[in-house]
Amino acid sequence: MVHRTNYRTTLYANFVLFEKSHNCNSDYIDYMKKNRNREIEQREVVIKLENINKTFSLKDKNTDTIREKVLGIFSKNKKRQLKALDNINLEVRKGEFLGIIGRNGSGKSTLLKVIIGAIRPDKGGIVTTNGRIMRMSLAMGFDPNLTARENVYLNATILGLTFKEITGKFDEIIDFAELHNFVDTQVKFFSRGMKSRLAFAVAVHAEADIFLMDEFFGGVGDAKFKEKSEQVFEESFIEGRTIIHVSHQFRTIRDHCNRVILMDKGSIIAMGRPNQVIPVYRKLLNLEKEVDLDMEEN
Amino acid sequence: MVLTLIPNELSSSKHCYQKINIKKAALSRGSFFYVSIKKKYSFFLNIEYRTRNIDIQKVTLLPVLTQLRDNNRLERIWLLAKIDFKKRYYDNSLGIFWALINPLCRFVVYYFAFTYIFPQRIPNYALYLFSGLIIWFFFAQGTKKGIKLLKTKKYLIESIQFKHSDLFIASTISACYSFMFNFIAYFIVSLIYGVGVHPTILWLFVLFFTIVVLVLGISMLLATINIYLRDIEHLWDIVVLAGFWATPIIYPHEITMVKLPFLQYLNPVAGIIINIRETVLNGNAPYYHLLVYDLVYAGILFLIAKFVYNKFAHKAVEKL
Repeated sequence: MVHRTNYRTTLYANFVLFEKSHNCNSDYIDYMKKNRNREIEQREVVIKLENINKTFSLKDKNTDTIREKVLGIFSKNKKRQLKALDNINLEVRKGEFLGIIGRNGSGKSTLLKVIIGAIRPDKGGIVTTNGRIMRMSLAMGFDPNLTARENVYLNATILGLTFKEITGKFDEIIDFAELHNFVDTQVKFFSRGMKSRLAFAVAVHAEADIFLMDEFFGGVGDAKFKEKSEQVFEESFIEGRTIIHVSHQFRTIRDHCNRVILMDKGSIIAMGRPNQVIPVYRKLLNLEKEVDLDMEEN
Repeated sequence: MVLTLIPNELSSSKHCYQKINIKKAALSRGSFFYVSIKKKYSFFLNIEYRTRNIDIQKVTLLPVLTQLRDNNRLERIWLLAKIDFKKRYYDNSLGIFWALINPLCRFVVYYFAFTYIFPQRIPNYALYLFSGLIIWFFFAQGTKKGIKLLKTKKYLIESIQFKHSDLFIASTISACYSFMFNFIAYFIVSLIYGVGVHPTILWLFVLFFTIVVLVLGISMLLATINIYLRDIEHLWDIVVLAGFWATPIIYPHEITMVKLPFLQYLNPVAGIIINIRETVLNGNAPYYHLLVYDLVYAGILFLIAKFVYNKFAHKAVEKL
């Protein structure tokens, strides 16, 4: 008797699993993937940048102390104006996977900081965002002296979750990051890979609506974690999660992005599908040989 | 741009439905937007800006209740404060007890110095000294921590969008935790000395509120100045040291009240300490002129600090 029921339940469970993985969802997912670009155009705008300019004034000498300020009256300190962002207009729709490429110092990171509100653009610029934003970059977002648990709670509560919600999701986050043995370890003892896994897990499970990834997967994360993150990227369009990915890893950009922006000297010089923009970047770098761009970084 | 304000379930009165025209530029930052509406309806409404839904703003008549219910702001501040407090004693084997040991040791040192080396003729000198010390300790600790706050919490500002002024509230609350520990110690000492609890202890709430507002204002102001002038940290150390001797902590307060009255008008902490002693230790009514003066002083300083902070603090990420 016992045997039979067991047999039946497992059979049924297998059947349900089979149906879930092969029939019901996959058709829908395939359809959505095929029509991703058309679908996205009908969705709402979540990030809107209008007339964004940002000028940093750099001084050759440090003048942030009283002594330097007093002496500075007599000696003229050269001020250099550096235009980090030059008249940027951009609309990002819900569920988009936007790649930003460009040379070092072309204003990619500054743009992300403007979106998150850490840097205020010059007068006249308007930033409108709709959703909870989390910016991820290596070695940031965590306090090294706090434990993993405290950091997860801190980040999630600032993202807008209540304690109850975080406690409900905490195990999922740790599962995703595969840090079971290090929950109460201080983050300063973590490796780079562990930190980035944790940050990504928080962002995914605390349901941040907009991910800003600032060269986040620069050669860290083993194959298993990469597989997980690929899965997240693939589902993100269906779940309405917007991702902006600043990277030199062209494989990710080629595989996932529906739109790529090429930035140079603070302005957007090309925008389009990955296979349209990446050749322009190649031309910009003046690469004579046919170099694999991915190899360059690693 | 026209925004429709939709009322919360809690308040269903008709006047909650409003259409307000707001300049498009005002939408660029949450705080601007918040301010621009709040000016019009500041007295009877609390309008909450959430980036999540740009079109729907919440209008409530019971701000505190809704904050508790659907906004996690209180929880966030609580957690920030708790972690801040815990972090200071993290790697120490005695842990949180340092919050108690430090002021107790200071108290013992000053007590021996000023009873045996320079004897004072003040009744209940131990309690007199202890009460002054813990208030000053709270003030010094709270403001000193505030100076570096934008730098130490840069990692959060850069990675997640939230209201940055929460950081200051949290750090002040974390200083309040230490004060609580100290006050418990004071209470135990006062029971040993046989000084009972006077009903005038209720004035403590008003007086403590004053000093909290003062600390909050000063730390916001100093943190903003710190972006442009890194020296302020060392300068403030000197000010705190000078302030310690300009405040009647170890000597009788008649000196400031009679001989040097300008000191207690320059330094509002002096008035607060005098009043706390009068009410908690002696069981008398507070000096009302000092009470009102300090409250107004702290309030005005807080408003100035908030104005300066809103105007200049956004440079923190690029300059620090």
